[in-house]
Amino acid sequence: MSNLYEYIKMAVHNIMANKGRSFLTMLGIIIGIASVIAIVSVGEGTKNQMNSEIDDIGGGQIAISVSDEAQTDEEWITADDVEAIRAIDGIEGVNVSDSFSGETTTGKGNFSLMLTGEGPDAKLLNNATMKHGVYFGENEVQEAKNVCVLSDADAKRLFGTDDVVGMTVDVNCYGLTKSLRICGVTTQKENGTFVSYTYEGMPVTINVPYTTMNEFTGVSDYFFSVTMQADKSLNSQDVADKVVKLMEKRHQCAGKDYFQVQSFQDIMSSMNQMLDMVTAFISFVAGISLLVGGIGVMNIMLVSVTERTREIGIRKSLGAKTSSIMMQFLAEAAILTVIGGVIGIVLGVIGGYVICSIISSSMGMSITPGISLSTIMAATLFSCAVGVFFGIYPAKKAAKLSPIEALRRN
Amino acid sequence: MEEALIRVKDLCKIYNPGENEVRALDHINLEINKGEFVAIIGQSGSGKSTFMNMLGCLDVPTSGEYFLNGTDVSTMEDNELSEVRNREIGFIFQGFNLISNLTAIENVELPLVYRGVDRKTRHKLAVESLTMVGLEKRMDHRPNEMSGGQQQRVAIARAIAAQPPVILADEPTGNLDSASSKEILQILKSMHEQGKTVILITHDNGIAAQARRVVRIMDGKIESDFINKNYGKEEYIKNQLDA
Repeated sequence: MSNLYEYIKMAVHNIMANKGRSFLTMLGIIIGIASVIAIVSVGEGTKNQMNSEIDDIGGGQIAISVSDEAQTDEEWITADDVEAIRAIDGIEGVNVSDSFSGETTTGKGNFSLMLTGEGPDAKLLNNATMKHGVYFGENEVQEAKNVCVLSDADAKRLFGTDDVVGMTVDVNCYGLTKSLRICGVTTQKENGTFVSYTYEGMPVTINVPYTTMNEFTGVSDYFFSVTMQADKSLNSQDVADKVVKLMEKRHQCAGKDYFQVQSFQDIMSSMNQMLDMVTAFISFVAGISLLVGGIGVMNIMLVSVTERTREIGIRKSLGAKTSSIMMQFLAEAAILTVIGGVIGIVLGVIGGYVICSIISSSMGMSITPGISLSTIMAATLFSCAVGVFFGIYPAKKAAKLSPIEALRRN
Repeated sequence: MEEALIRVKDLCKIYNPGENEVRALDHINLEINKGEFVAIIGQSGSGKSTFMNMLGCLDVPTSGEYFLNGTDVSTMEDNELSEVRNREIGFIFQGFNLISNLTAIENVELPLVYRGVDRKTRHKLAVESLTMVGLEKRMDHRPNEMSGGQQQRVAIARAIAAQPPVILADEPTGNLDSASSKEILQILKSMHEQGKTVILITHDNGIAAQARRVVRIMDGKIESDFINKNYGKEEYIKNQLDA
């Protein structure tokens, strides 16, 4: 292989001598690589955007719920259970969250309400930022105070202003009416690309201590499901396992699958899996164009071999071995595909940005393409492999020509 | 006795063996010593082209032996033949057979590339041989920028660049006008005078008459093999006549 440099030089020489044809040969590879890279980068970008939005609201969150396997009320989660879970290492907060519908009338008119009974760590679990006042906490929950928290957007709907701390809302639910004092107003988060916090005609959401909520519904402290916030630096799955173990111990039902756990990691990974599958499928379709591009390279190389039969004859008469001719043509095919691959990568990256900006501007999202080195490496390797694979047949054909046969042809 | 540079024994080449077989070469025996200037002459169909392919190791005989520089090449494989062609033989073809997208010097360097000579040495040898044929000012021209005579001179430079013991010229003047033909023959003659073994294949008696030894082939057999007593004189007379 000491002559490899010479063969590459010959190949480059030939490619440069036929620029137009060389470009057409590369076109298939360019389009194939560009489309694979563009698709993968848009797919990755979408996934990253989705993950970051979801992680914002739910990173480290774990939900435990009573499964259908549980036969009696004995297995429902009690307020004591909640306190026990709260004491586990790595749990930063626990919340219960049961919603009921109700209604209210203010100077602005009639509103339907979504009343959500929550626990002492509601502020943490809801990832809430306060605009005015404070969120209710342990005291209010224990004493079932008639207080509530709502978002600035909802406050404006009810009262026309968000500076409403200290005002009361008359809430009607299950036939019972209560005056709830507003103790805090949260800042409504802006809607993301994939996560919406508000929509047209949404009922006004009012958060109240669950103990207060129980007075409306007549239900005592049993919960069907509980959410908790784990330390984000820990593996949610490990923390979730601890919680289940504790619950099974407390309810003496080890191994019975009475408690089901779902962490945000699960939800995110199953969603990512789905997105990955979609991306893989589209990439596969785009990959077919790469295959077609490879066949294009092979066809042109075959034509080139036929056209250059005489040249092959001359080279052989001057002492070129079968392997030398083979290397020359193989190098030509490989260089064509590698150059095509590089152009394809550049176009694919540009294409990824263009598609993302079109999606962003037309659908009001913000997606930046996720271009990873591994994608580019894989595309480059693949295009080299295509070049070599589809170059072998024409190169073999060229190398096997007998010199007199080749010289005789014109 | 010193071993002949080329020794051919009972060489046969048979196409389409069987009923319609064609005996292109029929038991040829020939010896050519180092430093000879031999013309092989014959009409088209006489088998001289087939013989030239055998001598040039471009083809293998059906039977018989061919010793080139002491080694039997008649049973060699493809790759070994490539090596022998590269090392032992310099070809000059009727159609020049230069590679059209390479410059003169790149064409001349080709056999050295295949021999694995390094770039510097290659360049030096190519310049030397192009200078020898008087083309030192045309080294970077492509074949289509040169006349037929110049192209054939590039081909000669290519043939001698790798310094092979045998120069095999197949109708080297076939595509040239008489002035260029004379030039080319002059170069071949001077190479012979420098001690190279030159084998000239032609159908033209006038050209064959310029060689020191003339071998006539007919129907695949050697018809005559004689020393040209007029070598040197002939050239003088011909030059006088043409002038």
